[in-house]
Amino acid sequence: MTQELRDKACALGLDRLTEEHLAQLERAMTSMERHLKRLPRDIQPAQEPAHAYRAKGGAP
Amino acid sequence: MSGDLAYLGLAETAELIRAKKLSPVEYVTALLARIERYDAKYNAFIALTPERALSAARAAEADITAGRWRGPLHGMPYALKDIIDVEGLATTAHSKILKGNIARRHAVVTERLEAAGGVLLGKLSTHEFAIGGPSFDLPWPPARNPWNRDHFCGGSSSGSGAGLAAGFFPAALGTDTGGSIRNPASMCGITGMKPTYGRVSRRGVAPLAFSLDHIGPMTRTVHDNALILQVIAGHDPSDPASANEPVPDYGAMLDQGVRGLRIGVIQHFYTRDVIGNPEQVEALDAAVKIFGGAGAETSEITLPALQDFSACGQIILAAEAYAVHEQWLKERPQDYGARARERLLAGAALRAVDYLQAVRWRLQLRDRVAAAFADIDLALTASSMDPACRIDDDEALATNYWRQARMPFNVTGQPAWSFRPASPRAACRSPCSSSAIPLAKRCSTASRNSMRTRPVGRSAILRSFQTKVG
Repeated sequence: MTQELRDKACALGLDRLTEEHLAQLERAMTSMERHLKRLPRDIQPAQEPAHAYRAKGGAP
Repeated sequence: MSGDLAYLGLAETAELIRAKKLSPVEYVTALLARIERYDAKYNAFIALTPERALSAARAAEADITAGRWRGPLHGMPYALKDIIDVEGLATTAHSKILKGNIARRHAVVTERLEAAGGVLLGKLSTHEFAIGGPSFDLPWPPARNPWNRDHFCGGSSSGSGAGLAAGFFPAALGTDTGGSIRNPASMCGITGMKPTYGRVSRRGVAPLAFSLDHIGPMTRTVHDNALILQVIAGHDPSDPASANEPVPDYGAMLDQGVRGLRIGVIQHFYTRDVIGNPEQVEALDAAVKIFGGAGAETSEITLPALQDFSACGQIILAAEAYAVHEQWLKERPQDYGARARERLLAGAALRAVDYLQAVRWRLQLRDRVAAAFADIDLALTASSMDPACRIDDDEALATNYWRQARMPFNVTGQPAWSFRPASPRAACRSPCSSSAIPLAKRCSTASRNSMRTRPVGRSAILRSFQTKVG
């Protein structure tokens, strides 16, 4: 594994990953990159996610 | 025990028990014997609880004899995927991480099944933490497909599907975050339903991804599926996502037939976005024709590309699952199996903005699906694109696992079923296939799948189809 990947894992707090685990991390990140490329870039600024925060008990 | 009794549907068995023609104790004893005899081949169970089951069966029998019959689940054996809590039993999620993790209280779904008089037989195999499998590097072996034990039985609710196909119990619960009820349903030739998001409480069920997780019934027939859903559905204030909506009488809809039903066929999922196995496509086309012949109006509908739903769902799943597993992955990475570890690490480097963009995208996808569903009652599409591959074929597993059209309905939260083929001819040739039925106007999908092995339990599953179409 590259030192770059090892450093990245450590920065994420994943400092106990073995060489085998690091290879898995690399494959997982590569796979995720494919999904991320499909994320739309034209979502309107004011469009909020569905789970926008709701105060408990409602407004006074 | 005769094979017929092993594969008897829940509804029929309930009637025999209510009429005192079948003793719950004898039934449970017979099923336990069958499990003891055959489960070493299929690994459906992680933990069998025979003493507890027999005690519950005796109590049910005493009540029924005294005239206190509680309903169709009274005295009825069932089993739970081992991410669902049962007080006093371990919830392992099929992982070394949670070995010996004893639940302090029932999950809400367990409470409801127990209150209805259900008899728990034990806890079932799953892919590790409902995400990584099939795996041979865990404390328990993976479940195998009873149609052919060399083949994959789907997952992650693998023990639920395998146990139903093997005639070990008439009902089980599974969970579905990206298709984990519907995949084993299609691979094992049974009926599996992912209810609407929020319809069934998640409290007491190990989370995989908070906003995508669903708990649902797995049975051999549609009628049985409705009976289980009737018991487990309903509002739960302890689950923040629980829908506070009335629960309809699901059984009352079963004999209405399909005449006049408007069915939208989402063909592009399996003919353009992904090219389905020709045999799968042929059988799905046959299902559409049968629905048409039974009086349904079928038409093609178009949704966003399947890959868009997959990407959106996988980003959300990876981020939410990593939030659950981060600490364990940092401290005990070696205690995961390889498949779960790799899939969970996918969320390690995701940025907050990517997750939030995916959640906002999800709303756009949901709205586009809602618009496409405005003029139909339900949709029909593929579930798996391929037959069940060999369980030891890593290359096929890596490919086939993602060739599916189940994630769209975790993204939208719509109810989705996977069940058996549309014709006796198709059923004889390929045991696992499916289509969709409505519970409400908001209904959605489901599927078909096949495997080149000899079917078992075929008549019960065909009966489920006939229940709806006939």
